[in-house]
Amino acid sequence: METATKLTGLSEAIDLGILDPAQAEFFETPGGFTGLRLHGTEYKRVALRRAMPIAQPSSYISVADHENKEICVIRSLSDLDDENLRVVTAELDRRYYCPEVVSIKSVKDKMGYVYMELRVTGHGETFDKNCAVKDVNKNIRLLDESSLIIFDVDGNRYIVPSLAALDKKSLKRLEPYLF
Amino acid sequence: MQETYTLSYDLDARMLPCEGVLRFTRSGRVSASADGAELFDRTLEGAEEAAVLPGVGCGLIFLKMKDGEEFVLCRFSMSALLTAGEFCKVVNYYIQTNTAAIPEEKETRVCEKCGRPLVEGLKVCLFCYNRTSVLKRALELLRPFRRTLLVAQIFVAVASFFYLLIPLFNRVLIDNYLSQMRGPAAHIVMLAGAMFLARGLNEVIFILSSRAYNRASIGYANLLRTMAYDKLQRLSMSSLQKRTPGDLIRRVMEDTSTVKDFISDAGRWGIEQFIMFVIVMVILLITNPWLTLLVFLPVPVVAVGMSRFWRFINIRYERQWRRSSRCNSILHDIIKGIRTVKSFGNEDQEIEKFMGETRKLAEVSSSNEKLWALLFPSMVFFTGIGEFLVLYFGAGAILDGGLSLGVLVQFTMFITYVYAPLRWLVSFPRWLADAMTSMVKVFEILDEDTDLPNKEDPANVPLTGGVSFEGVSFGYKSYEPVLKDVSIDVRQGEMVGIVGKSGVGKTTLINLVMRLYDPNAGSVRISGCDLRDMSQQHLHENVGVVFQDTFLFAGTVYDNIVYAKPDATQEEVIAACKAGGAHEFIIKMPDGYNTVIGENGHTISGGERQRLAIARAVIKNPPILILDEATSSLDVETEAIIQDSLHKLIKGRTTLAIAHRLSTLRAADRLIVLDKGKVAEMGTHAELLKMKGIYYDLVMAQRQTGKKNK
Repeated sequence: METATKLTGLSEAIDLGILDPAQAEFFETPGGFTGLRLHGTEYKRVALRRAMPIAQPSSYISVADHENKEICVIRSLSDLDDENLRVVTAELDRRYYCPEVVSIKSVKDKMGYVYMELRVTGHGETFDKNCAVKDVNKNIRLLDESSLIIFDVDGNRYIVPSLAALDKKSLKRLEPYLF
Repeated sequence: MQETYTLSYDLDARMLPCEGVLRFTRSGRVSASADGAELFDRTLEGAEEAAVLPGVGCGLIFLKMKDGEEFVLCRFSMSALLTAGEFCKVVNYYIQTNTAAIPEEKETRVCEKCGRPLVEGLKVCLFCYNRTSVLKRALELLRPFRRTLLVAQIFVAVASFFYLLIPLFNRVLIDNYLSQMRGPAAHIVMLAGAMFLARGLNEVIFILSSRAYNRASIGYANLLRTMAYDKLQRLSMSSLQKRTPGDLIRRVMEDTSTVKDFISDAGRWGIEQFIMFVIVMVILLITNPWLTLLVFLPVPVVAVGMSRFWRFINIRYERQWRRSSRCNSILHDIIKGIRTVKSFGNEDQEIEKFMGETRKLAEVSSSNEKLWALLFPSMVFFTGIGEFLVLYFGAGAILDGGLSLGVLVQFTMFITYVYAPLRWLVSFPRWLADAMTSMVKVFEILDEDTDLPNKEDPANVPLTGGVSFEGVSFGYKSYEPVLKDVSIDVRQGEMVGIVGKSGVGKTTLINLVMRLYDPNAGSVRISGCDLRDMSQQHLHENVGVVFQDTFLFAGTVYDNIVYAKPDATQEEVIAACKAGGAHEFIIKMPDGYNTVIGENGHTISGGERQRLAIARAVIKNPPILILDEATSSLDVETEAIIQDSLHKLIKGRTTLAIAHRLSTLRAADRLIVLDKGKVAEMGTHAELLKMKGIYYDLVMAQRQTGKKNK
């Protein structure tokens, strides 16, 4: 009689390289970058990348060296101590720039491009942005039933975290592009 | 001479918006200020490179020092990304040469008038674009069709005249004969005959006008399509790659078609409705000015109401169209990938996904139809108010003896002639906007400057010499250099293999030899002549290329071979196929060289396709041969056969060959190893092995893989 061979689990076969937070020390370099000391090695510049920036922005943060070679993965930001959390969050804020739309002042369709005047907030400051959106089907994208992201022709991103939070006029201006 | 090169940036160190300026001066210093405050001013001494580091929705420029230190110079949103790349190029040129080359003109990314972003590839702001100038230009192109259009307009005017006669005949019939219950029957028959004739002539002349309009509009669309296609063929790869194939096809086919529809439908109807409107107005005013006033009384309300109605309905139908388009794309995707769906057993999941989308489409459609069913009859009722007013007051006037029945009937008939142009006028701005958008897109292609200009007086020297790269730097995006200061000298008749990991710039190197792009810095020369100094046609006639993915056009084997040399003799075709090792399999096919191969050559195997590609490349007998992974998709046996053909061919030709499978480069005189966009190693196979560097590692890695596979 054949005996069933136990399959190796994926997490056993593949090392995710999850960071042991107690071993890591993230720091800000004088040049304006973020560095990491880990197991006796000092990385002068690390790149932090969210594996799931929209669905799970605080989990699975890949840490890579200056040659883009992955060093480790932070499972969750909540695993980090206060100082590491401060440095890592600041770096993530600098890498992911996506202002939130507060209101939409105007939307005009011109020659196949949609020109928008947005009032946005980023890092606590509110300001106005003019943007042009090409191919609205692709670049005004509903993330779920209540939030959406806008990509303009330059590659800038603007997020509407809650459509319900927009004022009536803004929502009406945006409505033709929601589908 | 400019002393400073500046970059405007928009984010400070905390990622808050700012008005920042980064400056590079001829004296080799970089400085920055933000919101009026000076931030730093430093020398470039000891600097190795300035580079852009793109983030997500933002980016930064940093300075890399020779001692390994790195400094952020500024941060910016994506709007400044391209100009940041240009800034780095200027700084890096200084770092490499110690000379400052500050470009006179700087590319702007925002409209100087309104401050809105410019769309990539366009120099005009679509927001501020003057519609009159587009229309003017479109009309200028209509010039060859002027006579046809004039004839069409005369036909329309005549047809409208006959159409307008009918209510007038009606009035005479009612007032002179029917209401007085008298008159010879012959007169009534004559009037009926006249009405019949007027109606018949109206239709016949209308058919003639339609034909004339169609001839003009089809000719116009054909002219635009030909011009756009001609321009597309002449654009550079970098211009073409900015747009998707779908976008380019749409511009050549659909946008020209929209313009055609506008001229044939909107143009014709517009003129007809305008003529009708003016004539009816004159007749009505002459007949009874007071009743005319009643006809026009509800016009402003009706016009505003209709405009609102169409706007509202259009938005809703646009949403329905988008939902429908989404369903189509899901369906398209799933049917295309049905093998994957089935292999993962995900049929139910896909059914669920599609059902969800069709449900949403059904909801939107149903809601729209309900609304349409309610609003459209209401709007029709509303537009009929003028008719009721005329009937009410007209009937009163008849009873008082101030108006004849014929005049009232004539009025009610003319009312429809007045409201029809009104309905048309409401939709006209949208038609015009659609046509203008299409025209702008076509003109955009026509106006695009080629970034690979042909020199007016090209030096078409015989390209029998070697190929050299002199300090070549290049990036598809200016902020992401692929090749950095590459200098290579390939001697005449030498075969050089280019190796390296994926993405190091191997294909980019040969793209530059084919002049699909121009280097950002340095020069590529053949026989000592800069590629920019010779005509592109001369270059392409002298370079034969075999790619990994061979594209064969729909047609016969013969057609595909002579594609490279349309005037090739039959003997040359056979000789090229023999040289490429293709003759053997071609001759075995029942139709030989006349065998039709499907789109992309699906009816023949990969190896056979590759051999045809080699035959196509060598039929011109080019002194320079480029092989870009020409045999990498083939099995070892087929590769050996093709390699054999290739070895015979490359003798005496300058050959550049790229291959991942290093064994295919055995015959190479020299190997060049690229790493991180630079030439890392150069030498013969034996020399490189001895160096125990990157090439050695690559060979060892492949040997290991080979052993494991065995």
